Amino acid sequence: MLRLKNWILIIAGCLGMQAASAQVRPPLSFNINYSIAQPFGSVKDYSDKTSFRGWQAGLQYMISDQIGVGIKSGFQDFYERAPRAVYPTKGGDISAVQTRTLQVIPALATVQYQFTKPDAIVIPYASLGIGAANMNYEKYWGEFVDKDNSWAFMVSPELGINIPFGKASPLLFNASIEYNYASYKLAEITNFSTLQGNIGLRWHIN
Amino acid sequence: MKKRRLWFMMSAAVAFTTLVSLNSCRKDPLNDMTDEESRIYITNRDSTANFSSYATFSIVDSVAVASNGSEAKRALTDYDKQLIAAVKSAMQARGYTLVDKAAKPQLAVNLTRIDDTYSSSYYDPGYWSGWGGYYDPFYWGYPGYGYYFPAYYTVYYKERAVSIDLVDLKNAQADKQLNAIWNAMFRGSGVWDSNNINNMVTAAFAQSAYLKK
Repeated sequence: MLRLKNWILIIAGCLGMQAASAQVRPPLSFNINYSIAQPFGSVKDYSDKTSFRGWQAGLQYMISDQIGVGIKSGFQDFYERAPRAVYPTKGGDISAVQTRTLQVIPALATVQYQFTKPDAIVIPYASLGIGAANMNYEKYWGEFVDKDNSWAFMVSPELGINIPFGKASPLLFNASIEYNYASYKLAEITNFSTLQGNIGLRWHIN
Repeated sequence: MKKRRLWFMMSAAVAFTTLVSLNSCRKDPLNDMTDEESRIYITNRDSTANFSSYATFSIVDSVAVASNGSEAKRALTDYDKQLIAAVKSAMQARGYTLVDKAAKPQLAVNLTRIDDTYSSSYYDPGYWSGWGGYYDPFYWGYPGYGYYFPAYYTVYYKERAVSIDLVDLKNAQADKQLNAIWNAMFRGSGVWDSNNINNMVTAAFAQSAYLKK
């Protein structure tokens, strides 16, 4: 809840700023996307289902026609229920239905390079996000949970396109694909690695 | 122009709030969980024990009910009778011979139902200090002997559970203590439901293939 409140404050603060500009569209933009993520490596072994429960949002300021800096956050929920199996322990065995979940909330600083001028019909871009991700690990043995909540370093390169709804329109369609890596180690997870697709909108608001 | 900007801001705020409230609702692991899925069957063994070195066993004639860490009472409900019968036949199926407790059994089987034992959550390596009385050494004819459990032993809390303990009587005289060499614990919803006894006992023995004459 605090996170949401902070976001609203940041957005409100940015909206209040006035930036004089002779550019095609105002430099400050805000985006929201629906996200799907596919886990890889040890995360896939832990919970191999593609996550359809995710979103992403960000703020970006264009410091030139083609270079922008910003911040982004989001949410992704990984979930898998494994049928009853026997798992060895130190002193014996446990028979359990495991429900393996992982929720990821990144908080990243971003830098973006757009390959075309802002008046192009399609604006392809590449961006890099670096920061931290909050990892909420909950592995249920039947109804009993092993849990851990911690932060990990995250890096997230992204390739995407913006398509303006008409020339100089402040509203753009956005689609992107990103790879997320986090140095997260817990139990069976040796690092966090996912491929994520995003689709949504970008508004140049100010 | 100003009006347009206001519209954008408002729609952005609405869309953002909608996304947050829709998707930050993670998939809840518990709300679609059946009782069967909620249960876990834990077995522990003494890694130094040679299970084939024992030939005979005896089983308690009633089940201890440990409630909130207080002195355990013995009970013999229909559930308890079925539990005794299920464990008895599982032991026989593994090649152990049932004998009367007066006939110097080499293994003792203790059965305990644990009820909401919130006051007894601890991990006590090597030594069993809680609930004096319900692991009754007198019952097995070893007055004055302490009960010793291997380092794995943990007591859980705020739940109902069922525990099966296999105690070594064969070496009790030499060791002057009663060692538990095997333990099974059933945790989760419905462990006190007699319809689940056979499944739980079968699972515990199935995952303990080493437990045989």
